[in-house]
Amino acid sequence: MNRTESEPSRHLWHPVATVAEVNGTLNTMLMGDAVTVRVAGDHSGIVVFHGDRKLPVIVRFGFIWTSLGSPPSDLFEIPEAAEADRRNVSAGPVGVATSAPRAIENFLDMAHFPFVHTDILGAEPHTEVKDYDVELKETENEILATRCRFFQPMAALSAAGGMEVDYVYRVPHPFCAVLYKSSGADARRMDVIAIFAQPTSEESIRAHLFLSMIDTTHTDSEMRRFQQLIFGQDKPILENQRPRRLPLDPRSETPIRADLSSIVYRRWLSSRNIGYGVIPAAGQSGSAVHG
Amino acid sequence: MAELSGWFPVAASHDLPLRHVFQAKLFDREMAIWRADDGNVNVWENRCLHRGVRLSIGVNEGLELKCQYHGWRYANKTAGCIYIPAHPANAPARQITNRTYPAVERFGLVWTTLEKDLSFDVVWPDGDWSVLRAIPVHAGPDAVAAALCKVLGAVPRPDIHAFAYALSTLCEAPVLALLQPQDSGKTVIRCLLSGGAQMERRLAVQANATLTRFRNIVEADASLEPVESEPVFEPVASELAEPPAASPDAMTVRVERKWQVAEGITGLTVVPTTGNLPAFQPGAHIDVTLPTGVKRQYSITDGPGTWKSWTIAVKNEPNSRGGSRFIAETLRQGDLLSVSEPRNNFPLRRDAAETLLIAGGIGVTPLLAMARALAAVRSGFRLHVFARSETHVPLADQLDGLLPAVTLHLALDPAQVAQRLAEVIGPHAPGRQIYACGPGGMTQSVLAIAEELGWPEEAVHFENFNNDHVIDTSSAFAVDLARSALSIDVPAGQSLLSVLRAHGVELPSACERGACGTCRAEVIEGTPDHQDAYLSRGERASNRHIITCVSRSRTPRLVLDL
Amino acid sequence: MRLFDYEYSAECYKVRLLLSILEIDHEIVPVDVHPGRENESAEFLALNVLGEVPVLVSDELILRGANAILVWLSRRFDPEAKWLPNEPMPAAVCQGWLTIADRLAAGVGTARMTLSRGETLPDKRATSEAHRLLRAVDEHLWFAERRGDDWLVPLPHPTLAEIACFPDIALCEEAGVSRIDYPAIRRWMDRVRRIERFTLMSGIFPASPPAPRTPVNQTQTESLS
Repeated sequence: MNRTESEPSRHLWHPVATVAEVNGTLNTMLMGDAVTVRVAGDHSGIVVFHGDRKLPVIVRFGFIWTSLGSPPSDLFEIPEAAEADRRNVSAGPVGVATSAPRAIENFLDMAHFPFVHTDILGAEPHTEVKDYDVELKETENEILATRCRFFQPMAALSAAGGMEVDYVYRVPHPFCAVLYKSSGADARRMDVIAIFAQPTSEESIRAHLFLSMIDTTHTDSEMRRFQQLIFGQDKPILENQRPRRLPLDPRSETPIRADLSSIVYRRWLSSRNIGYGVIPAAGQSGSAVHG
Repeated sequence: MAELSGWFPVAASHDLPLRHVFQAKLFDREMAIWRADDGNVNVWENRCLHRGVRLSIGVNEGLELKCQYHGWRYANKTAGCIYIPAHPANAPARQITNRTYPAVERFGLVWTTLEKDLSFDVVWPDGDWSVLRAIPVHAGPDAVAAALCKVLGAVPRPDIHAFAYALSTLCEAPVLALLQPQDSGKTVIRCLLSGGAQMERRLAVQANATLTRFRNIVEADASLEPVESEPVFEPVASELAEPPAASPDAMTVRVERKWQVAEGITGLTVVPTTGNLPAFQPGAHIDVTLPTGVKRQYSITDGPGTWKSWTIAVKNEPNSRGGSRFIAETLRQGDLLSVSEPRNNFPLRRDAAETLLIAGGIGVTPLLAMARALAAVRSGFRLHVFARSETHVPLADQLDGLLPAVTLHLALDPAQVAQRLAEVIGPHAPGRQIYACGPGGMTQSVLAIAEELGWPEEAVHFENFNNDHVIDTSSAFAVDLARSALSIDVPAGQSLLSVLRAHGVELPSACERGACGTCRAEVIEGTPDHQDAYLSRGERASNRHIITCVSRSRTPRLVLDL
Repeated sequence: MRLFDYEYSAECYKVRLLLSILEIDHEIVPVDVHPGRENESAEFLALNVLGEVPVLVSDELILRGANAILVWLSRRFDPEAKWLPNEPMPAAVCQGWLTIADRLAAGVGTARMTLSRGETLPDKRATSEAHRLLRAVDEHLWFAERRGDDWLVPLPHPTLAEIACFPDIALCEEAGVSRIDYPAIRRWMDRVRRIERFTLMSGIFPASPPAPRTPVNQTQTESLS
């Protein structure tokens, strides 16, 4: 197991629960270690323990984030979530027997929509992934994929009929990704859906799903149900991927043009020396020795 | 776990009904096993090369296995990837081939081996044998073998197989047991019962009950909970990360059948001299090198998943440079031919709602393969064949199998052809695609009529057999090769392709007449002087590609991505 | 008719399956079991004191739990009594499978829900028990195939036994229970998924399309062999 201090992901912020989910005390796993989350009745005091050790805590988007190492002073933002008319809803967590990077890569992928989310996010024969742009934004140290478009028969609860949907993807954290897609309710704005993967071990996660939607007609329950239906379709795919850890050697799998964001993501993990939940490329300095 | 050499059973024949994918494991290697509609049994590594998803959760389409994640299609037998839905207009690099294992179906079992080039050597005792229900046991093969001998009085039969045991205590009839080691903690016992094809149910129940009791004894101190060992996978071949190599890739085939498929048209069915034929995509052609040294391209007419033979059709051109005449007059059944691997410059999108296939005479050959591929997945299409008369329709008997989607248009003059084309093409709608193949004049008509009817250029695809342009080689220009860091002068009278080759730059080529597109190169800078019949008008206008065998430069300098 | 339903629930899926197959008009009322815990709300407890989905509310009555709903729907909407047979033997055998289905639900079904919430299993008992049951089901189906029977109850058509047993078996890999050792079950799953008007849920993919009567290319292959 990759639990050394030199592993960079040990020093990242990781989500462990939603504030609402914790009914007093919640025991969960983070990178192979048991941690305990305690929330006071009025949500005022939130503490996370690793054994006797008190871990650092940040609360953002309604989630509790912590770290086993020395995390940076701040965590990425999703500015849209602060807009007054947004509906911010959590739709997880969902346990998945996969690595955090496999889950993130799947979240960035459009080509599977017709085959995995059939008749909802895609349908044959509309299978083409048109060329899109991916850039690594050095200042923010995050990946941005733009000009992504895909034909969808039922893009969201608020969508009527098929349409080509615009997507923007952000990867602001090695185990978190945020997507923006055309809102069915307001053509000028975009709905936000994010996945924050809590690595419970190298090959298992709790996927925290966060929605920030422009939707005045559906209940929180309905929005959750839709997102759980979608993620539930991804789950068996993720659990049938072998190896479960993401291989970073460019020659371990066969990418195509549609996989541009995944190519950049894998390279970015390599350059950041992330060794958790991945199989480092040969010659990569990865801090871990994998058995 | 330590691997043993030799052949091992991994499934029973009855485990493989049509349109099912069976999941197996041998020495830590997971396998997806499926029977194609033609009866062939495929034993493949249980992992799509693209993103590692198990193929055992995929879809058995009959002659192709489709990955559940992104719909990649792998061909029966060869496991070559022949379609990537995310890029429907592109032919996948033909090197993307899933890892396969040898497969032999014998004695009611499917056998495989992890070794290469190991011929099947299991000698079976005479008599009729029926396969009993397989019993997986949570114990390693050595432990199971020892217990079989100790508990059930099994007698090893190394003369049959390293893991074969004779059992006389399972039921009232003699039984042979074979062990299939899944991993260090699990073994499948596969038993065969002697005594006739009509297995007596009573004996099968008896044997199953005895084996179940045996399993309980072996597992008594072991947990039923499987220990998930890390499955072993072959790494992807390194060349998959590179662009397709320009290899000569020739192979030898034998002419199994030669016959007249229409007036003035010869049909050839060719079979491999060793092994199987590689995977091909609908629309693909092979280069046939004739003993006269002449190289010609002929489209494969077969449907998806064909691996035992290819059928091509050759029109006897009166002005033949020695290709078609040789085939019509000299070539005999049983002769050997040198052919290339299939190449595809005419890829078929499978994301169309309706595909119109328009053939002129011999141009039906690639469209026949496309029609079969579309029919196999029940995708809507119509095949229109224009010919001088009924006797001029190539492979008419094979078109019958595609009825009622085929329409013949016979004995029309050019004006009637144009009128008929306008009728069958009709207005464009999203999801309609045209594929046309035939004489140059006919494909030009299709293009012109489709444009008139408002079809966008990207919905009309065509393949020419010939380049009718007269090639002008009078210009001289310079080329810079960006990747090779070379600057070369192309003098008048010499083709760009030949000059590149003289400088050691290898590019694949085929027709060398500007028709097939095989020698295409990417242009980074400069304006090509297009003289080919391959690129579409839009492609020409974009000036991003050049067909190097005939085209030249309008600017003094061209920069190519070579 | 309204079904109080949770998408991830295999129990609810049983009911959705039969509603779809019998083409019964209904309305879905989503219950946010996780993370919303709506099933523990006072309103829901008033509907079902057990705090569990599914609950079916019709003009005639309120039914709680999958088995009760399946039995009522069959009797009420399947006049030929195919799904819940009348004859003593198939009726009794069918009930026997509903008991097996309940054991699967209590064991591997519960384990799956625990894992899908991102929690860990207290021990391996549920998955060991699942393997024990799956072995028995696989054995039953293997011998059924030998007799020419496709279904759990020896009838020429599927019954409630399929509806009740399929969901937890088809979702068991989400509980870490592999089906690699149960080939007869894997073939039966193909047959179940090809039942007319079968419906999917998240976690279950469609079966391969059935082979046409005259397979493509067969003539060609035969002429060569």
